[in-house]
Amino acid sequence: MIYSLYIFDRHSDCIFRREWHKDSGKKAGINDDMSKLIFGICLSLRNIARNLTDSDSFLTYSTSQYKTHYYETPSNLKLVLFTDLLTVSLVNELRQIYETLYVEYVVKNPLQTTEVKTIDNIMFSMGVDALIQSLPGYA
Amino acid sequence: MSKVRTIGADVWKHKTDKVSLELFTLMYGSIVSQLCDDFEHDYTKVNQQLDKMGYNIGLRLIEEVLAKTGLPRCHSFRETADAVTRVGFKMFLNITPQLGNWSVDNKQFSIIFPPGTNPLVEFVECYDERARRELWYSNILAGVIRGALEMVQLSCETEFVSDVLQGAAQTELRVKIIKVLEDEVPQGEE
Amino acid sequence: MSVAPRPAVPAKPSSSTPNFAHERNDSVSTPPPPQQTVYDRSLARKRGEVSLSAFAYIFSEAVQYCHSRSKDVSELEHRLNLLGRHIGVRVLELTVLREGKNAKRETRLMPMLQFVHTHIWRTLFNRPADSMQVSTEEQLQYMIIDHRPLVTEYISVPRDMSQLNCAALVAGIVQSVFSAAQFPCKVTAHSMGTDEFPDRTVYVVKFEDSVLKRV
Repeated sequence: MIYSLYIFDRHSDCIFRREWHKDSGKKAGINDDMSKLIFGICLSLRNIARNLTDSDSFLTYSTSQYKTHYYETPSNLKLVLFTDLLTVSLVNELRQIYETLYVEYVVKNPLQTTEVKTIDNIMFSMGVDALIQSLPGYA
Repeated sequence: MSKVRTIGADVWKHKTDKVSLELFTLMYGSIVSQLCDDFEHDYTKVNQQLDKMGYNIGLRLIEEVLAKTGLPRCHSFRETADAVTRVGFKMFLNITPQLGNWSVDNKQFSIIFPPGTNPLVEFVECYDERARRELWYSNILAGVIRGALEMVQLSCETEFVSDVLQGAAQTELRVKIIKVLEDEVPQGEE
Repeated sequence: MSVAPRPAVPAKPSSSTPNFAHERNDSVSTPPPPQQTVYDRSLARKRGEVSLSAFAYIFSEAVQYCHSRSKDVSELEHRLNLLGRHIGVRVLELTVLREGKNAKRETRLMPMLQFVHTHIWRTLFNRPADSMQVSTEEQLQYMIIDHRPLVTEYISVPRDMSQLNCAALVAGIVQSVFSAAQFPCKVTAHSMGTDEFPDRTVYVVKFEDSVLKRV
């Protein structure tokens, strides 16, 4: 089951978040503090992985309750997806969100201000919904 | 390295929707012309505005480069410079400008456009004496490079040092890498 | 229609340039030009292509810039229209020039509309427009229809600007093509999406009465 998606920009601001299965009982609790904590933990884990292996090998971490999938671009955009423990790696799907949805609809949209504060773009959020909901592990 | 050599051409051939160069050139000409009007031919201001527009473009365009090429982080400035000309310029404008005039410390280099290779100036001739001296017609490119490199953590300065439109033998864009930027962390953390 | 041999884009508008040099010989005081000037290159051949995104990025900046100087959507569209007018007059010259021996000056309305629908569209977008209609309500009003306008490809208009159609740029181009060919008119762009073509745009061309006198 897929719970939520967070996107952070290079200034570490959360520019997009989306929740699915809100009523499933697993309180992901979307709010600003939560976003900051998520950013913090991902950055720390990435840095540890970098120090240990000298490459960007941090892709996922799990707790007893949920699993996190992480994709970072060389431009420092960070995509974080929360799922249940059964879900297989969705890093490629995150990459796909970046390549086909973020770049096409957000980056190329003339009416989107350059340094995106929050993504308020129907084509993008609909695209994300469609992609996530089409995954076998969605429900 | 070998990937950098070929991937720009590859993306251009297989993954790029194209548009007529004339529409592009005329669109840019129209913008420059409008700026000259709006800023009452204060070319310093026009240059700044073009640079600012380019910077905004650079911040966005790099995402498309990364998405379409899957290029990893570069490990040296020479590699970066190669990526700018062979991937960046190739996949957007279908040209590969030359690199040259490297400084001894490898932190400064020039992107060189021989006459007839810069698509922005395809139909352009500068008639006006003062514009010929003061206007950097292609200044948007200086901004694009600065913005794009900043997004991959390279803070740099960019400026044109010569231009065919000003009567020079070639158009030269100088790039000086200032520093490698650190990750930004949220305020109140650390 | 005047077929100037060199539709060069002046770096500044010629009207306000006192020492605008019409002939190369006039510019004796300027430094020696590079070996080959822009005038030495043939215009007859098409110049190749750049990526659609390169165009989208500079167009994007043009929209942002115009937006920052406009108080409302209609002023923004007006500014985009003005940008288009710079382009139209040059596109007309270039297109006619490329007709070579077949080049002629269109003086009748229907052939001129056809010319814009087919040839001007080809120069701009590498394909003809999708259709053309005569207005049944207004005299001298015509519609040129484009199912997938290139300029709005990446645009998702925010709710507070829902009236905006960035194809106003193309409207400006078309208006300036007609006007330069002595068919004065006003052209506006309207989004009329269908299920199949959500971005479908209708360019409404309203000619001035003076055109009627000649037809």
